[in-house]
Amino acid sequence: MNKKTIETFQILSISLIWVLFTGIAVWIVTLIRESIRLHDTPDASVGISIVAIPVFFLLASVLTYVFFGLRKGRNRDPEPQETPGGKAVGQG
Amino acid sequence: MQPVSAQTPHRDAALLRPIENPGRTYYYIVGLLMAVILYTGFVYFRQLLYGLGVTGMAQPVTWGFYIVNFVFFIGISHAGTLISAILRLSKAEWRRPITRMAEVITAIVLAIGGLHPIIDLGRPDRMMHLFYNGRLQSPLLWDVASITAYFTASTIYLYIPMIPDIAILRDRGVKPRWLYEFLSWGWQGTERQHKVLDRAMNILMVVVIPIAVSVHTIISYIFAMTVQPGWHSTIFGPYFVVGAIFSGIAAILVLMIVFRRVFRLEGYLKHIHFNYLSILLLIMALIWFYFTFSEYLTGFYGHEPNEMRVFWYKFSGDFAPYFWTMIACNFLIPVGILCNRKTRTIPGILIASIAVIIGMWLERLIIVVPSLANPRLPYPTGIYIPTHTEWMLFLGGVAVFILGYMVFARFFPVISIWEIEEGRHESARIVTERISSYMPDMEPSGGRE
Repeated sequence: MNKKTIETFQILSISLIWVLFTGIAVWIVTLIRESIRLHDTPDASVGISIVAIPVFFLLASVLTYVFFGLRKGRNRDPEPQETPGGKAVGQG
Repeated sequence: MQPVSAQTPHRDAALLRPIENPGRTYYYIVGLLMAVILYTGFVYFRQLLYGLGVTGMAQPVTWGFYIVNFVFFIGISHAGTLISAILRLSKAEWRRPITRMAEVITAIVLAIGGLHPIIDLGRPDRMMHLFYNGRLQSPLLWDVASITAYFTASTIYLYIPMIPDIAILRDRGVKPRWLYEFLSWGWQGTERQHKVLDRAMNILMVVVIPIAVSVHTIISYIFAMTVQPGWHSTIFGPYFVVGAIFSGIAAILVLMIVFRRVFRLEGYLKHIHFNYLSILLLIMALIWFYFTFSEYLTGFYGHEPNEMRVFWYKFSGDFAPYFWTMIACNFLIPVGILCNRKTRTIPGILIASIAVIIGMWLERLIIVVPSLANPRLPYPTGIYIPTHTEWMLFLGGVAVFILGYMVFARFFPVISIWEIEEGRHESARIVTERISSYMPDMEPSGGRE
């Protein structure tokens, strides 16, 4: 499998994670709206549910930050780098 | 510079051995586990075909093994993330060989535990009602949201610190190479990449702790938010969290002992690791006992008739053997073994940990069944006898856990190679600096008179 294909799949996987977490957020918002419409929810449930949404987006953001951070932090020099493991690694 | 390959000797070859040369026994065990899981699948298919009537559940005991195992497996998951996150946060250098093992436990048992409510539904398609007609005031829905958040957080928390090790496998040309290329995200070990990784791990280890605490608290709410005798208790939240950490530490200890023996990791999992973790286990045994004592004393002192029915059912009735076995397994055995340095050996720790795992499973059984068997209704006491289906699905869950762990160990190092190497280079300096920062200053030599 060539590098371009692998990079495409990597970007696709990050995108899918955002799609999944957006879906979860939409689900939580739908639940909140439904419960407000039915007048059957204590405020605490709504409050806790609202806190859950940023948690998912924070996790997706951390993953995205790491992905693009590692790409940006790559050494464009073709010479291999040493890792703290003492092993030389080739370019990713 | 010489290109590296799977034949190039590595300083931590012992950690790469399960990946590069798993041996025949590995495949025999995988085969056996697959057979158990296949049979479990057949048993579950029977349940789908004939309904929940193939289980021992019936009015009034409508929750049985499936919910017990749900709480049990989710409880064990706390080991991973909590211990790994707390030890990283407190910069305990001895954590290095343990954190990944703990994180893998979390990821696998969460998936297994999360399936159990679906099995308990009988008709798994009814799960879709959560999405169409979910009721936000139901603790069961809170459970779904919190477990999903925890599973996501712990999987990311497992994966991100694995990236440098995945890059090592990529560079050694370990097959399947495309997998390691895909997962390594271009890691080269540059200073900038290390900074990105450190920053992400720092954020995650802080975020994951409240998520982990919230998960088992919310699981306790599916009991505590009802008015069933024996369940409606304000102490359930922290009691469940303590129990989860307790069973989780025991699970890690058992796994460490097994891996140390099977993969010959004596050079990495040393007596000091077992000593420290077993002291944590001892502390958790004492805290667990305190919560259990407080819970039952409060119920007994109130002497409310329905509560007392459940109380005596556990203390001297049909569930007495399980209750007192639980006390022995969770308190008497671990405290007896771990208090004494002479018995706090690896075999002793193994016995104590296995006792705790059994005891904590019994604790979940004792929480779930007696309260349902003795409801606030004029029924005779309910009877629950688990059937072959429920036992098999429990064993199947255990088999899936073992298989999942073995598959993980086949493709990824269970001990973090780069963190061990970082520890070799950095730990002594970091610890020396830390100690110097809080030791009292020396008097200047002229001021002695």
